[in-house]
Amino acid sequence: MKRTKKNRGIRELKSRYGYLFTTHWIFGIVVFFALPLVQSIIFSFSKIEIIGGGVNIHLVGLENYKQILFSDPDYETWISGSLTSYLYSLPLIILLSMALALILNQKFKGRLFFRALYFLPVIISTGAVMNLIFTTTGTDMANMGVSEAYSANMVSVDDIVNLLDIQGEVANYITVTISKIFDLVWSCGIQIVLFLAGLQSVPATLFEASRVEGATKWEEFWFITFPMLSRVTLLVAVFTMVELITSERTTLIKRVYAMMRTGNYDETSAMMWFYFLICGAIMAFLIFLYNRFLMKRWE
Amino acid sequence: MNYQMDAVAERKLRRVQKKGLHLFYSLFRLVILLSIGFIIIYPLIYTVVTSLQSRYAFLNSTRVWIPTEFAIAENYIAAFTSMDYLRSLWSTCKNELLSAALEIASCALVAYGLARFEFKWKKLYIGILFFTILVPDMMVLIPRMLNYSHLDFFGIGGLFQKLTGIDLRPNIIDTPWAFWLPSFFGVGLRSGILIYIYMQFFKGLPQELEEAAWVDGAGPLRTFLSIALPSSGVVILTVTVFAMIWHWNDSLLSGMYLSNSFPLARQVARLPETLGSKYHIILSARDPQGIGYLMAGCVLFIVPMLVVYMIVQRWFIESIDRVGITG
Repeated sequence: MKRTKKNRGIRELKSRYGYLFTTHWIFGIVVFFALPLVQSIIFSFSKIEIIGGGVNIHLVGLENYKQILFSDPDYETWISGSLTSYLYSLPLIILLSMALALILNQKFKGRLFFRALYFLPVIISTGAVMNLIFTTTGTDMANMGVSEAYSANMVSVDDIVNLLDIQGEVANYITVTISKIFDLVWSCGIQIVLFLAGLQSVPATLFEASRVEGATKWEEFWFITFPMLSRVTLLVAVFTMVELITSERTTLIKRVYAMMRTGNYDETSAMMWFYFLICGAIMAFLIFLYNRFLMKRWE
Repeated sequence: MNYQMDAVAERKLRRVQKKGLHLFYSLFRLVILLSIGFIIIYPLIYTVVTSLQSRYAFLNSTRVWIPTEFAIAENYIAAFTSMDYLRSLWSTCKNELLSAALEIASCALVAYGLARFEFKWKKLYIGILFFTILVPDMMVLIPRMLNYSHLDFFGIGGLFQKLTGIDLRPNIIDTPWAFWLPSFFGVGLRSGILIYIYMQFFKGLPQELEEAAWVDGAGPLRTFLSIALPSSGVVILTVTVFAMIWHWNDSLLSGMYLSNSFPLARQVARLPETLGSKYHIILSARDPQGIGYLMAGCVLFIVPMLVVYMIVQRWFIESIDRVGITG
């Protein structure tokens, strides 16, 4: 016994320390994450009664799901509403934050000021206060504080779209984007921070080499920066997706919380699981596409 | 001779062109930065200005930006009292900020374990980590809440109660423990992301010093505390800022776990209702009556975090450059 203990290599010793550092976390994962997750699946398939201190659960199969899908008139509208807004915003947020991070990563006068300014949404945007500010000033912001008579004389987005003869979905997309610009910029805070941190990990030697070879900035971006950022982009995408689908500003989530507070646990669980599964499927599909077509090319 | 002259002229021309292009690009960048900066600053200025004005000024649409009829005291006192500010602030500190501190410490441990040591189940652990990032908190909210009213680990307490009739399972709803416990175990509010940020940093930290400490006979905890931690101030700052902000802004968990002492975020979220019932006004988007109160409440909510941000901002911005997230 003693001999084996002595002969144990540093590697095995270290592997034990690995477990040592993570035990509490695994314990927490089981108690506060895995078990509740399983419980909430069970809840979604059952009817729940709260009696005294205890919870009475009896399984009813798919009834909750039938209820929300076929009897609830609003649920499907909410789902499609949040899904469209999520698919609209996701690529824009990623592109915008990547572009802003690239700009903020350059060296120029006033860089610190702009960085401080652009990190401001990180502080405020996650909160209830944003909800409040945006709903109370929302109408005002769409007009940008300009009175109607004034703005009628200015060139509006619709005019430009008409002028360029863009039609159908694309035109719609542009108009929606412009009208949601506040929302979009304000959702970019943490993404910019993540991208900036990611940009630092691109080795400078690569840029030096490319400069010696005479690459243009454009080529540098496409062949060095963008591929090197690919994993950060994935992280940002996942983070943004989760943020978007759980944002308290979507009608579905608002409703779900309201129902939760009134104690309607079974149907709420079913609602959330169905929503999450659909979003998860889309997420998985996007990640698959990304891995398949972009990451492969770089590896 | 002529040829040489041409070459010189050409070089000069190219230099001028390059300079011009650079100038143009700088201008372009400035315009973009300023216009998007405006989008960021606009709602904030709007909020502050509105919070200073009286309701009559709000009706006057010719003046938007410069407040003329002040009602600072009225607005802020109304917001301050309706939010029960001091008690809510205390509640935020106790429930949210303390659990943020616990989270910062415990996530560092986990991340160090995952980044530094090789072990058999590491891949599985990292998979779990990503899974926790992917699954939104709200999925586990209801069962968690129900479990908290009879806190139990693996049904041991329940079994004990069945056998002896003594209920050992404490009810931690409405106590700070509902926030502290998950944070302590590294599964608090968005812990996954925090662990991930830590992990990326620890991976990039040079290993030599730690190896030396090993050779000198320092244990793993000691190595972590006195070698790894002191050189990771950058990442600790980043994580601290994130954890504090997320906790400060959290109105979801506190809405579920607390029923009588609300933290600030919750108070701000329900401020329209509180104001409505207190002053008998209905708050709508364009209703001038309570909007000054409402915006004053928002300012009161933002200001503490803003002050903290102003203080750490310089280091935070620099630290972003050095954390280095590789994904």
